[in-house]
Amino acid sequence: MISYYIFYDNKSFLLLILLILNTMAKIVVLGAGISGHTAATFLKKKLGKKHEVIVVSPSEYYQWIPSNIWVGVGKMNVKQVRFKLKPVYDRLSIQYLQAKALAIHPEGDLEQANAFVTIQYTGTSRTGETQKVTYDYLVNATGPKLNFEATEGLGPKLFTHSVCSADHAVDTWEALKNGIDRMKNGEKLNFVIGTGHPAATCQGAAFEYALNVAHLMKELDLQDRANITWISNEYEIGDFGMGGAFVKRGGYITPTKVFSESIFAEYGIHWIKRAGVNKVEENLIHYENLDGEYKTIGFDFAMLIPAFAGAGMKAYDKSGADITSQLFAPSGFMKVDADYSAKPYEEWGTDDWPSTYQNPVYKNIFAPGIAFAPPHQISKPMKSPNGTLITPAPPRTGMPSGVMGKVVALNIVDMIKHRETELKHRASMGKMGAACVVSAGYSFFKGNAATMTVFPIVPDWKKYPQWGREISYTVGEAGLAGHWIKLLLHYMFIYKAKARPFWWLIPE
Amino acid sequence: MEDNKVRGYHDEFYPPFPSKATLFWRRNIFWQLIRFVVLNLKIMRIVVGGHT
Repeated sequence: MISYYIFYDNKSFLLLILLILNTMAKIVVLGAGISGHTAATFLKKKLGKKHEVIVVSPSEYYQWIPSNIWVGVGKMNVKQVRFKLKPVYDRLSIQYLQAKALAIHPEGDLEQANAFVTIQYTGTSRTGETQKVTYDYLVNATGPKLNFEATEGLGPKLFTHSVCSADHAVDTWEALKNGIDRMKNGEKLNFVIGTGHPAATCQGAAFEYALNVAHLMKELDLQDRANITWISNEYEIGDFGMGGAFVKRGGYITPTKVFSESIFAEYGIHWIKRAGVNKVEENLIHYENLDGEYKTIGFDFAMLIPAFAGAGMKAYDKSGADITSQLFAPSGFMKVDADYSAKPYEEWGTDDWPSTYQNPVYKNIFAPGIAFAPPHQISKPMKSPNGTLITPAPPRTGMPSGVMGKVVALNIVDMIKHRETELKHRASMGKMGAACVVSAGYSFFKGNAATMTVFPIVPDWKKYPQWGREISYTVGEAGLAGHWIKLLLHYMFIYKAKARPFWWLIPE
Repeated sequence: MEDNKVRGYHDEFYPPFPSKATLFWRRNIFWQLIRFVVLNLKIMRIVVGGHT
């Protein structure tokens, strides 16, 4: 496609007019996680064979990350939570390149007039080979880099375990099995589960894993030999990186702190909150708390979620000058249509949050899912007297990521087919809700899960001055029904991701 | 472990603890089937209203 971009600067507002002289557009999607895969499949469905959709992903698999929890406790095997992407993309006529993106050249370079991405192949006969892939539209949905390096001693290669990927979850289950064998032989073990960095997010996944381990111990009648401790950077248990929430429960409007602590107490899990893990040694975790105290806790088995960072891509202009800081925040996440101006917590609002995930400079680049740079945390930033920020980063996984991927796809379709310059489809975390089903034990008749919903994800204190969110939309309930919902979501979303008949009818 | 026992002056002492009746209803198939439908409807309400 030949595209003409006419830019004019009016009060820092950049207007893009796209004139399409040729009918063929080329869209490159970086990443095949929940957001990228959703974007790619909807793009292809809406655009058909007239336009080219290319997916670049370093892994040959799609994985349904929420079910990694069950792989980590041996209730599912890895084949149940992932499948190969290529057969699905071949069927959908989406081109798939098993590679990782190294750099974005949004203006091309001196040799290549069109915008392009430099990719490096992984896991195939072309491993290590680099290539320039040109694009008309770019969807950066790389997700996070699991930044184990940010905490000394953290990660599957060192002293702790993870359920952030299916492979990690398999290794974690092997280690847990080893621990179970030791307990069967009479040993008492200390399990520490939670967050492994003062600014880590994804507390929900660690929370689920802690409950599943406790449930497994009870199932195996080993609960008396397992001492399970939750360690987290949350100010209060149940913060989950979204400043906590209130739910209607038992005739009261109850904070998630009470809801979550109640579940922990029921499952016999101790907890340490306001803790920023800063170092892990063999069998010993070092952390600092919000009082500024440096403490340690011993462990025999630890599953700690790392900090997340951007994928680490670079960006260059036409002359080859480094413009990474124009496209990406210092964290490595991509800047989009958010308000990044620094302001105190009291002035934060839902309007700060992006709704189209479009890059403000290069209007043909989008970053849905975890790849976009949030304007700030959702939870109130808390610092220890030593100056350490001990606050969860905002969560952006699961349901919101899928919605963002779809919205980005629909807007690109409008830009291509209808020459739209104003983006009609929007999904701000300040205006969308989220449902979170926290597994608390896998069994069809004896399982348990806590179902929680919030609306919106980012509290809107102007619209809902009392609780920050619409209370009538909230749910906080534990029970077997939650487990069935979690199972249903597993099979439903894998069906959808495999693009089986009528997959598009399943909502994000 | 003995340490798991709920005691005063520990964090675990203060949150609400489910009663036998609560635990019964959480696993009662018929009641949970109803909750399954209700919770799915509530989730759908969130999903449908979530984006424009």
